[in-house]
Formats: sequence, structure tokens, C-alpha cells
Amino acid sequence: MNERNFDANDPRLSAYLMDELAADEREQIERLLREDPNARDFVEELKRTADLLEAEFGAEGEPGLSGSRRAAVERRIGGARRGRLFAVASAALVLLAGGATLFFLGRGPFSRAPAGIEGRVTLMAHYEAERADLVSASRVLQSSAASEEHITYRDTEQYAHTEENPWKSTGQEPLSTFAIDVDTASYSNMRRFLREGRLPPASAVRIEEFINYFRYDDPAPESASGDDPFRLTTEVASAPWAPRHRLLWIGIQAREIEWNARRPSNLVFLLDVSGSMNAPDKLPLLQRSLRLLVEQLDPRDRVAIVVYAGASGLVLPSTSCEQSAEVLAALDRLSAGGSTNGGAGIDLAYRLARENFIDEGLNRVILATDGDFNVGVTDQGSLVRLIEKQRESGVFLSVLGFGTGNLKDATMELLADKGNGNFAYIDSLAEARKVLVSELGGTLIPVAKDVKIQVEFNPTRVQAWRLIGYENRQLAHQDFNDDSKDAGEIGAGHSVTALYELVPPDVPFESAGTDALRYQQDGRPSDQAFTDELLFLKLRYKQPDGDTSRLISTPVRDQGRLWHEASDNLRFSAAVAAYAMLLKESPHLNDFGYEQVIQLAYEARGQDPGGYRAEFLRLVRLAKRIAAGETIEELRELGYIGK
Amino acid sequence: MTDRQWIRDALDRYEGPLLLYARRLTGDAERARDVVQDTFLKLCHQRRAAVQPRLAEWLYTVCRNAAIDVRRKERVMKVVHSEEQAAAGAEANPESAAAGKEQRRRLLVLLSHLPDKQQEVLRLKFQGGLSYKEISRVTGESVGNVGMLLHVGLKGLRARLQDREIEGQVMS
Repeated sequence: MNERNFDANDPRLSAYLMDELAADEREQIERLLREDPNARDFVEELKRTADLLEAEFGAEGEPGLSGSRRAAVERRIGGARRGRLFAVASAALVLLAGGATLFFLGRGPFSRAPAGIEGRVTLMAHYEAERADLVSASRVLQSSAASEEHITYRDTEQYAHTEENPWKSTGQEPLSTFAIDVDTASYSNMRRFLREGRLPPASAVRIEEFINYFRYDDPAPESASGDDPFRLTTEVASAPWAPRHRLLWIGIQAREIEWNARRPSNLVFLLDVSGSMNAPDKLPLLQRSLRLLVEQLDPRDRVAIVVYAGASGLVLPSTSCEQSAEVLAALDRLSAGGSTNGGAGIDLAYRLARENFIDEGLNRVILATDGDFNVGVTDQGSLVRLIEKQRESGVFLSVLGFGTGNLKDATMELLADKGNGNFAYIDSLAEARKVLVSELGGTLIPVAKDVKIQVEFNPTRVQAWRLIGYENRQLAHQDFNDDSKDAGEIGAGHSVTALYELVPPDVPFESAGTDALRYQQDGRPSDQAFTDELLFLKLRYKQPDGDTSRLISTPVRDQGRLWHEASDNLRFSAAVAAYAMLLKESPHLNDFGYEQVIQLAYEARGQDPGGYRAEFLRLVRLAKRIAAGETIEELRELGYIGK
Repeated sequence: MTDRQWIRDALDRYEGPLLLYARRLTGDAERARDVVQDTFLKLCHQRRAAVQPRLAEWLYTVCRNAAIDVRRKERVMKVVHSEEQAAAGAEANPESAAAGKEQRRRLLVLLSHLPDKQQEVLRLKFQGGLSYKEISRVTGESVGNVGMLLHVGLKGLRARLQDREIEGQVMS
């Protein structure tokens, strides 16, 4: 074939159809269409799809505001000034007719109010008076009436909304600073969603937690002195979803510590036994999970158990694991009931941890909950302050999330971040085994704290960059050198990976961000900029009981590796990142889809001890089917989801 | 045109599309009506000269913010399963010809499988008739991203449509 292969991913093809192109670009596309029949066919099909869609939307049936709502708007159009006077009078009327008003609210005041004079008065007053309160009152009534009729996904799970990190131009912003994160909860939570036959909401996907769910073993040390508790590794290869872009892999592999060679531990279990925990995937799973943990402990270790519900209380004072039968029996006796007072429970748990503090030991509170802190200290601000205060005592925190439908993901992650801790979501006994048995060292033994990374990109080598994930772990650049600023912890044997997508200078790239600076052009490069250094990587960390940080730094060069020359580590983590981006509906993936993720992950799965990578492949296949619209019944039929 | 007639015209023209848009965002027809009613009540307080030149953009922006507020306030993650939503959309038009209805329903179902952001951009473009720049200001995505989302969405829809057509031929 002589024709140039046209690029079906070129957004200008659609922009051409929508008449959104500048004259020169329009000419380019028109020339392409004249010369390349394939491009012509393709654009014609796009046009057909667009026409169908437009017709479709047009025929969707235009609903109208119901009569009374429309009337309310019409009246306002009729005269805003008069309306206000009228409203003062009508508000008084409503007070007199309180019972009737409430009735209208309960029935949905906007749609079903009768056309009579009372109805109108109520409506008007409704808008002119403090609207929000009334609306929320009516909501409560409406939703309680509606809840029996349709059972849709109206759960109360909460996720903090995050946008993906945008592209940054190196000329304007050469620095990237963030705190590392070893949480994995987002990944196991995704698995739970898929098993329920639906995709997780985009805001429940934290890309870095997907990547860090996996161990990336055997990195060749590039920069580590004998004293550092981890090895820092970097690698650069092409990006699978944008072959002209480069993918930078930064890996931190923490030292393994034999469980038997660990220091003695002082653990306090802080367990949520409120009514919301009364479900098979919550309290019973919690009990069995902690049983697994207690079975790993020996006479060097101590465990105390605090529960919180309507009132928080001590179930088991700090007890040596010589009497592990006693600890297990206390766990078995737990039952769910009452509402939650997380705040008081946290106080008590930390007090116990301090009273039994083991110098140079592993002092840790393990909080297990579905995240409902709805009695006592409820607002996030005070909870965070409480946890931050306790952090100074040298007690670490692990948060284990359980259950579905009420998961307060954002609160739990925040607590773990602020409390020198980690956050895992336990969706199954298998996950409990991963977190509390096979990777127990990572969960319980900290090897470094306040780990921060700062990268400075060389503007002569990198035109633009984008950090993949870690959206809520960003730090101010000046905080990198500030030892009073909290950052991420890393446990024995943990792997932490960060990926950056980089645009080399010679690749056409239209920055979506700000305009070019008027008074500066790419700063003024230093002599160092004209070397082959791609970037300068700096990392700070503290010893688990230390107060001053140590700095590791190294320049990173691009060896020009192509995709197939990259290590399994880089390729597998790229596949995981791409999968997370798919779930986040990322615009950065071009045409990279589930099939490509599967292909990539399959090729790079390596040894896969523990079978986690094989499970990843199963999950991506399942997600692909869900995304294609298969129902949970079909998926059960095909054996993708257990019955 | 009288001073207020332009608001009435806006109501006639945008009431339906805004309701459909708000329903997609809130996942609920009743809440969508609240949001759209609010939007028009707010419009009554605007100065015509300030709003009219960019009326569609203004309406979609206010409507979108209100819908997101409602969603946040109620802590509803995703209210209605997309299939049900698509079905509801089709049923909302009982007078449509029975034959066309089935096909339409199918296209709506296909659309509902696209990522949310793509769906939103397609809707703003083909239902709201907004330009890339307007869509960019409504959604906060850059113009480049809007173009990308729209292209990827259209392309994805075309591929799914073809898949269905091929399946249809195999079946028959």
C-alpha cells in the first residue's frame, strides 16, 4: 500500500466534522481525505455515528418540568420584584398552615402540589425562604418512601474525588514532589466491586495503590549505601500507550526482615463492633483475619483489644501472647451492636499503646472498621488532629477496612496517612492472609518513615511530564527539605513504585495547560542541563524512630530502551497503571484498552510467587466483560463470578 | 422581544435537553427537575446582557454545578445502573414509533457503556449543541481534552455499533 497510514486516534478527524478546526488544519485533513480512501471511509463512519447519535438524543423524548414547576419559573419570569413582596406574605401563611405544608413537602412539593392556591403559596415560599433546609427535609421523607420501591445502588460509600495529575511543562514546572504511599486498599476494593458485577467508580481508583499491590522483586541496586533500609532503582523505556513518550519507573524495594528476627511488638486492636459491622463480610471476617495475625505472634508480643460502638470499652487488657488462647477467646466473643464512637475508642487505644510501650519495639494500633465514625468525634478535622497528636508518641497505625455499602474510604485513608500508617482493604480471607501473614512484615515492621521523593526534570531532555497516581500525596516543593512535614511510611519487604510519563523535546506536544510565559522562555538552562541527564532524583527518609532525614540523590539517564527491552517490573507495573487509568476513564490512554492491558500483563507476569499477577489477569478479563455490558447473571453463568 | 421573553425562549429551548443532562448527572428524574427548575430561577436574576451571549454555556454550567451539589449532598455515588437509565430514557417517549424504539434503545445502551466523561461530552455536543470551547468551560476539561474525549467516544461508539451489526448478521 502506498497510502500513508492515517492515525485513527487523531482527534482532529472528529474536530473536522464538528467544524472546530482552524483553516490550516482543516486543509491538512481535507488533503488527507482526498488522498486516503481509508481515512475517508473512517470519517464517513464517524459522521454516520454522529448523525445517529444526534437523532437519538433528539428522539430521546424531551421531558418537561411538570406543570407546577414550570409555573413557578413562569411566575418568576413574570416579575422578580413583585415576587419578593408576595413571598414575605406567603411565608407567614405557610407558618399558619404548618401541617399542610409538611404534607406537601413529604409528597414532593414541586411535582405533585395541587394547583389550588395553597399549593402555589407553598411553592413560592419554598423558594423564597431558606430553601436548603426544606429541601433536605423533604429529601429524607422522599427517600424513605422511595427506598422500598427501587433497590438501586444508593449506598453510602464515600470516596474523595480526585482528578488525575495533569501534564506539566518542564519549562514552567521542573519539580515534582510527593510522599510515598504503601496502601493497597483501592486494589482489593476494586476486586470486590468486580465480584459484585460492576466497575468501581472512578473516584475509588487510586492508581498508585494498584501498582503497589504487587511486589517488584530483584531490582539491581543503582543507588544505595549499605545503611539504607531500601534500594532505589530507576528505569526508562517507551510508554506502551504512547510509544513516542517515555515511561520512567522509580522503584523502592525495602529490606526484608525475617519475622522471627523482628523486635517484640505491642499491639492494640481497635475494633469497630457497631451495628453497621453486623454482616458476614465484616465482623466475622474481621475475627477470622485477626485470628490469622495472632497465630503469627509469640511470647515476645503483647495484644490488647479495645472495641467501640455506643460506648467504647476495653475487652482485653494488654496480654502477653504466651496466653494466646486468651487473646483468641476474646476475639471470638465479640459481637456487633450499637452505634459508633470512633473518637473515644482511638483515645483509649493509644493510651493503652503508650502504657505498654516497648522501647525500640513495634508499637502499633490496628484499627479495623468499615469507617463509620458517626458518634463522638465525627468531623474529619478533629479526627485528623487527634491522630496527628498520637503520632508523636511513636505509635504507628494500621487501618484495615472491611465490608461493603458503607465504606468510608476517604476517612480511613486519611487516618492511615496522618497516623504514620498503612491502609489495606480486606475483602476476603485470602486478602487477610496476604496482609496479615505473608506480608505481615510490611504491615507491622516499619523500616523508614516520612519518605519523600523529589524529581527535577532537565528541560533540555524532557518537554513535559506527568506523575501517574499519587494525586492525594502531593507535597509543596519546599516541604521536601522540611523534616517537620509528615510523609509516607514503608514497611519491611514493601515495594513502592512510581511511574512518570515523559515527553521528549522532539515530539510534537500540545500542552493543554497554561500559555507560554511572556517574560521567560524555559528559564535559563544551567551547564548541567546540557549533559545527557534526564532528571535528578532525590529521596529523603527518616529511621522509624528518628527525627532527622537522610538524603539520597542520583541523576537518571535514558538508555533509550524500547518497550520490549524493558524489565518485567516496568512492563507489569505499566499494565497495572493502564488498567487503573481505564477504570478512571483517563484521557491519556489513546486507544489502549483492556485487551492491550491483558496482553502486556501476560507477557510481563514473570515468576509470580503467590499468584497475584495471575489473579490480576483474571480481574482485567472480568472488568472487560462488565464494561462490555454483561450482567452479573451472565458472568456467573460463565464462571467469572462465584455463585 | 420583551425584556422577559428571552428567558421564556430559553426555557422552551433548553428545558428538555437540560433535564436529560441533569438526569444523567444525578441519576434521578425528580432531582433533575429540582436542579433544572433552580437553574431557570437563577437565570431570572441574571442581567440579560451578561448572560445571553453565552446562554447555553451559562445554563449547562449552572445546571452541572447544581447537579453535582445535589449528588454530593446526598452522597449518592452512582444512583441508577446505566442499563436501567437507558431503558428509562427510551420509555420516557411513549409516542415514538415502536419500530424505531428498539433500535434507539440499543444505541442508548451502547452509549451508556462508554466512560462517563465521554458520555457527558457527547451529550453536551450533540444534545446541547455546545462548541468545544463551551464544553471546555462547562466541564473544566481543556479544549484539547474535550476534542480527545469526543473523538474517542465517537470512535468507540462506532466500533460498538459495528460489533452489534456484525452480531446481528450472524444471528439472522
